[in-house]
Amino acid sequence: MKKVILLLLLFFCGLNFSQDIKKDKLYKKRVLESVEIDFLSSYYSQEGSNASVTGGIGNEDLEDFNPTIVVSIPLNDDDVISIDLGISTYTSASSSNGNPFDAGVNANKTTSPWYASSGASKVDTWKNLNIDYSHSSEDRNTILNANFSSATEWDYESFGFGVGITKLYNNKNTSVSLSTKVYLDKWVPIYPKELDAYVDADGDTSSGYFNDKTIYDQEGVSSNKWSPIKGFGLINDKSRNTFSLSFLFSQILTKNAQFAFFIDVIKQQGWLANPLQRVYFSDINNFYIGNPSSIPLYTSTLNNDVFHLADDIERLPSNRLKIPIGLRFNYYLNENLALRTYYRHYFDDWGINSHTFNLELPIKILDDFTFYPSYRFYTQSNADYFEPYEKLLSSSQYYTSDYDLSKFRSNQLGFGLKYVDIFTKLKVWDLGLKSVNINYSKYKRNSDFQSYIFSVGFKFVVN
Amino acid sequence: MKSKKFKLIKKIALLSIIAYSLNSCASIKEYEKVNINDPDMELSQRQICRFETNFQLYREGSSGANGGKVGGGCGCN
Repeated sequence: MKKVILLLLLFFCGLNFSQDIKKDKLYKKRVLESVEIDFLSSYYSQEGSNASVTGGIGNEDLEDFNPTIVVSIPLNDDDVISIDLGISTYTSASSSNGNPFDAGVNANKTTSPWYASSGASKVDTWKNLNIDYSHSSEDRNTILNANFSSATEWDYESFGFGVGITKLYNNKNTSVSLSTKVYLDKWVPIYPKELDAYVDADGDTSSGYFNDKTIYDQEGVSSNKWSPIKGFGLINDKSRNTFSLSFLFSQILTKNAQFAFFIDVIKQQGWLANPLQRVYFSDINNFYIGNPSSIPLYTSTLNNDVFHLADDIERLPSNRLKIPIGLRFNYYLNENLALRTYYRHYFDDWGINSHTFNLELPIKILDDFTFYPSYRFYTQSNADYFEPYEKLLSSSQYYTSDYDLSKFRSNQLGFGLKYVDIFTKLKVWDLGLKSVNINYSKYKRNSDFQSYIFSVGFKFVVN
Repeated sequence: MKSKKFKLIKKIALLSIIAYSLNSCASIKEYEKVNINDPDMELSQRQICRFETNFQLYREGSSGANGGKVGGGCGCN
């Protein structure tokens, strides 16, 4: 009898246990139901008149085409791996002027900061790979992730890795994330042509690359007195490392409102300046190569054939501490309209202090379509080391004429459209089209710089 | 420098207190989260906006605190 009772107990315990497992299996939702593939692409174009390669004046024209594919694969109920591969091809007028003494058809013809040369740096490709792995706990209240990234371009290599943890509390009303990321980057330095040639010729401006070139002073008189300050030395420390710690707190406030608070602490070390960017000092005499009669017109776009020889490349501190603090607040107004807001305050130890405000109003115009008008306002103070063309002093330890570090305000207007088909009716082979996104944004600074970007994305699920 | 650090600590402390206070203010049940779970209510930028965030990272002196990239790449162009 005892054996029967024991067997019955074991049977019911087993049944109960197996029902629990079934129940768990029944209610445990996969983190990602099936493989998803995103085909994303963007076209970016900018124009401006403060090119940093030519010391803060000159043509900033740039075009960039960036196709990207993102594949997210569920490895099981809890684990997802995401592979993100992008290639960006760009043409840049200012980068081409790393060597402005190679204007194309006539290889000896010098161009000016206002026109692109045919230098090797005019066109280049940037390749990028990101792999992210995430694991969610059984109760979906803990998410662990690890990631790896790699990127290369003509003068730069980047290698990054990171880990993170997200915890959800309070019936998933509250979430807290902590993550860290390390980038171990390296310059493959490309210098302005005249500085590179100066080092090659051991400072002799009548030999080597300068052999067939005449250097002129400000008055247009031939002179051999040009030399970069302190004789110009190539950079020794080619590394640029970034260490970041990120904290995120998000909270559901009501049935219609939630917010998130972000803070990053980012420490950068190494060569934080760009070795291709020239600077010109107000207390150093000017020297040129090209047509001497164009020297008085140097800062005008009428100048197309004379170039100011660099006094030095930009020099910046080898450490930078950046602290951005962000806040997102989203409100569901009704079934057709939501409000998405974002604010960020940023400051660093180079003297930049900035505020960013972003507003987006998703409007459902049909069952399947959503329209996204958006507006972004941005303002920043200049870095302590910034001065415009010919305003820097050679006695300073650090200096730059990079207008990305200047004081400015910008406005950006954007429009987007999203089509969603949750039933993925449209099929391409085994892929079902889940959504299509298009986006256009126009960006304008109060200084002479503007750009626009057009992006498109297709999301497919593998059936 | 000291006053800057103090201001920063004050800001972080204030935001932490606000965040902690808000933590206890709501507990919305799963079945009440229909609106919160709308894809447009996600507390991150839309995937299609990643490209414009990249160019902003390069063309502006500041970056970060948006759940995106915080480093890597030179932004040379």
